[in-house]
Amino acid sequence: MINIRWYKVLNDLAGNKTRTLLIVLSMAVGLFAVGVILSARSILSRGLAESFAAINPSTGVVRTGETFDEQFLASVRSMHDVQAADARRNLAARIEIAPDEWKNISIFVVPDYNEIQVNKIEPDTGAWPPPEREILIERAALQVIHAQVGDTVRIKLANDTIREMKISGTAYDPAQMPAQLDGTPYGYVSTETLDWLGESFGFNELYVIASNPEDEEWSRQVVNQVKDKAERIGLTIPMTMTAEPGQLPMDDILQAILALMGILGVLSLSLSVFLVVNTVSALLAQQKRQIGVMKAIGGSSLQLLGMYLVMVMAYGAFALLLAIPLGIYGARALSQSMAYYFNFDLASMDIPMQSIVLQGIVGLALPVIASLVPFISSLRISPAEAMSLYRTGKGRFGTNPVDRMISGRNLWFARDFPVRSFLLSLRNTFRSKGRLLLTLITLTLGSATFISVFSVRSSLTSTVDEMMKWFNFDVMITFGRSYRSEELQQLARQLPGVYETDTWQQLTVRRVRPDGSEGSMIYMFAPSPDSKLISSPGLAEGRWLLPSDQNAVVVSSALFIEEPDLKLGDNIVLKLYGDEFTFKIIGVSIGTSFGTIMYANYDYVSRITDRAGESDALMVSMSTHDPESVLSASSALERLYESNGLRVNTVDTMFVERAQAEAIFDTIVSLLLVMAVLMALVGGLGLMGTMSINVLERTREIGILRAIGAPNRGVAQVFIMEGIAIGLMSWLFGALLAVPMSGALNLAVGTSMMGTPLTYSYSVSGMLIWLVAVFFLSTLASYIPARNASRLTVREVLGYE
Amino acid sequence: MMAAKTAKKRSPLKSRADHSPNGRLVDLHAVKKIYRSSAGTFTALEGIDLQIASGEFVSIIGKSGSGKSTLINLISGIDQPTSGEIFVNNVPVHSLKEEQIAVWRGRSIGVIFQFFQLLPTLTAVENILLAMDYGNRYPVSERAEKAIHLLELVGMADWAHSLPGTLSGGQAQRVAIARSLANDPLLLAADEPTGNLDTKSADTVLELFDSLTREGKTILMVTHDMELARRAARTIRLSDGRILDQKVND
Repeated sequence: MINIRWYKVLNDLAGNKTRTLLIVLSMAVGLFAVGVILSARSILSRGLAESFAAINPSTGVVRTGETFDEQFLASVRSMHDVQAADARRNLAARIEIAPDEWKNISIFVVPDYNEIQVNKIEPDTGAWPPPEREILIERAALQVIHAQVGDTVRIKLANDTIREMKISGTAYDPAQMPAQLDGTPYGYVSTETLDWLGESFGFNELYVIASNPEDEEWSRQVVNQVKDKAERIGLTIPMTMTAEPGQLPMDDILQAILALMGILGVLSLSLSVFLVVNTVSALLAQQKRQIGVMKAIGGSSLQLLGMYLVMVMAYGAFALLLAIPLGIYGARALSQSMAYYFNFDLASMDIPMQSIVLQGIVGLALPVIASLVPFISSLRISPAEAMSLYRTGKGRFGTNPVDRMISGRNLWFARDFPVRSFLLSLRNTFRSKGRLLLTLITLTLGSATFISVFSVRSSLTSTVDEMMKWFNFDVMITFGRSYRSEELQQLARQLPGVYETDTWQQLTVRRVRPDGSEGSMIYMFAPSPDSKLISSPGLAEGRWLLPSDQNAVVVSSALFIEEPDLKLGDNIVLKLYGDEFTFKIIGVSIGTSFGTIMYANYDYVSRITDRAGESDALMVSMSTHDPESVLSASSALERLYESNGLRVNTVDTMFVERAQAEAIFDTIVSLLLVMAVLMALVGGLGLMGTMSINVLERTREIGILRAIGAPNRGVAQVFIMEGIAIGLMSWLFGALLAVPMSGALNLAVGTSMMGTPLTYSYSVSGMLIWLVAVFFLSTLASYIPARNASRLTVREVLGYE
Repeated sequence: MMAAKTAKKRSPLKSRADHSPNGRLVDLHAVKKIYRSSAGTFTALEGIDLQIASGEFVSIIGKSGSGKSTLINLISGIDQPTSGEIFVNNVPVHSLKEEQIAVWRGRSIGVIFQFFQLLPTLTAVENILLAMDYGNRYPVSERAEKAIHLLELVGMADWAHSLPGTLSGGQAQRVAIARSLANDPLLLAADEPTGNLDTKSADTVLELFDSLTREGKTILMVTHDMELARRAARTIRLSDGRILDQKVND
């Protein structure tokens, strides 16, 4: 037979269903947030690694200027330090995405799509392998080219041939950067189609897996061996690339997101802990009288402790029953949407046991630990005191300076205003200071997270602004080779609407490390230091180029992610057109890791590369900057140069560049917003829990209000105003805490994405949005308990114990 | 039943007058109160007929469970009868809704409790002002002065800005009496007002009641102490939910 005291526990749980539901819900929301974040983080990290491993990823890429054949590929495969190698043709072409609007596209040609050994491409929808004279598009790229499977698109090749091709399906190529993130779509055709396009077959990209793929340094050496081998047979090597082991191309941004999720996971865990502590202490405060009665009839401290711990654990267990399945569902949904956005498949959606165990600890052990302090304090009170009827609610008021400041004669000046209800609410807020503190901590953390999330969003926008401020031009055209600068500018000025033009050297360079190995490709822009079309409004470190500078470079901060041994003031050896030159880093700009950029003086670069008076990039500033005119001018410029026999390589408009930069950040922002809403929900429920317990504790007080003539509205008002007062205080503290918190988030996101913190921008709009939100949240959180309170009859409440 | 219908036609809150036409401030007809619980039914009051004239000081006495608290609760609208009619100053209290009762009570009845029931976070004067805010009988600008005056009346003006927690039981009850007078009610309903006080404080409270009666206030006081009950003009004795007898005191 069950001991009778356990019946009391059961009756307490079942007897007050509203309270049980509220406590369980409060705990469940916190646990849900912890579960979603931790599980999704784990699913994504694991899924990313598995997804990448499944394609047999290359550890290095060697691009050749000329094509090579199967024989050379076979010789690379037979190299001692090469585990596997494969090759493709990468054809630079243009695709028409709207009438007369062309976009760069990389078209891959693979002889046998079913026999790919390295960087495997998988069928997705439609035809497989690509049928003759038709094209497959990478699945994430369809949205970028505004097309559907079955559509016919026009493709323009470097030799100006234009072909119409049907999109016969989609392919899945996780080794490529998702098209929406770098703006480059990918297509796949057969060797027969290549022939039809007027190009003879041959490879120009070699994918290599080093014998020890986990060792990045070794991989780099192997890539250099392959490069040397290629050069020995007369091939030129415009680019080599070494991948970090086990990392997909968008790893930087995903790592930033995972880092962010880690931080938010810890935050939601703290929120959840405070929520649990808050709820449990409120519950115990409410049970103080019953504890007194049980002590009076001989209940030992140990017996009482056991009873209440079981009760608290029961709440935790119910909350876990809700939070675990919902958390699993939420984590899977979040992981799936992220994987979809970053274009990788999740082989497994298994929830990590650690996440569930952690939820279990938070849900079961923490409430027990949390209840010990208030429980011990309630045991100290004598039975007589605990059972005393001479009380109207918990908490002593008037015993400390804060209380005294808002009572007594101090507010007597307001006597001629009907503000007593407000005073009652204000002072009630400070009545149970321990609970107020816990509620404030919970809500303040929620507030600070919400405002910080908006600040990170605002900082991301500021960072994009900062990056784009550099460019005072609307269109940038790069050419297949260098042309006379004068000729390029003269042609552009013929076009109506062109306001200003400038020509730069634009080349790809690589760092040559002290050990002789080469780094990844870096875009070097060499404008004149006095160019009006580039400005350096603010550098992360150092200074901008001066006309007198010779071998000076300003590098983007992202370089330091790849080359961590470098810093401002260091010398850097760069390989330009096959020759090595030493430059000095004099400034650091903010930039993403997608395409590291550096700037050098035109005069110096054109001199050392023997291209004085020549340029291969043209910048154009238009008199009107709206997207429509810029787009139409860019198409007109492209036609103009082509009709004059100049080979245009790429045409980029700044508003598209900006949109792409923002697209990268949008994912982070969306994720952050989901988290912010979740935090707001946890905070709101915490407040609702507190307010409900406050109402329960002050039931007798409600009776007095009723007895002296308070209408329903009057009773509800007291509690709603108290809720709002707590909400507003948390807003104020949260707005202050958001300053360092958003700084830390900016550092985490910025460092992992760009090697430098984001340009800090505190979101005033986020602060104001949260002010409105917290006002409504507090009103709502206190409205329900207040409404219930106002429905109680006087006899019910005065008879309440 | 007729009375209930009449009450619906006109706003009961507007029927307040200083004196009822027939001189009866409180008029109870066949009032019955039955409490139902899982343990069964309990009849607290069984067909009570009672009239109290305006300006009368009436005490209700009886043993525990006799129904005296239930009776005062029904008259002050704190509880509703199972059957029967209750008129206070011609207002059919039995047919009012809870929300209407609260507003009516705030203006018409001054309730005094055994445990004072002052709001602990409001000072003495603020407790009175809150009742005035709810009653809305006086212009806002006059309330503070009136509240201080009421505290002077009960001898508590020096403690106007003290929180209830700092007052003794007797002082707190005097403030509670001042609060009950906040909206110049027709009737003061006091349930064991001296039950938690020492003899000296109890005397002070009763002296206050005497002086209020002299000024024309109607007071209904529940007590279990015969000595105190005799201080009223009339004593009604309850037993098992019925009026056992009524006695006019000297």
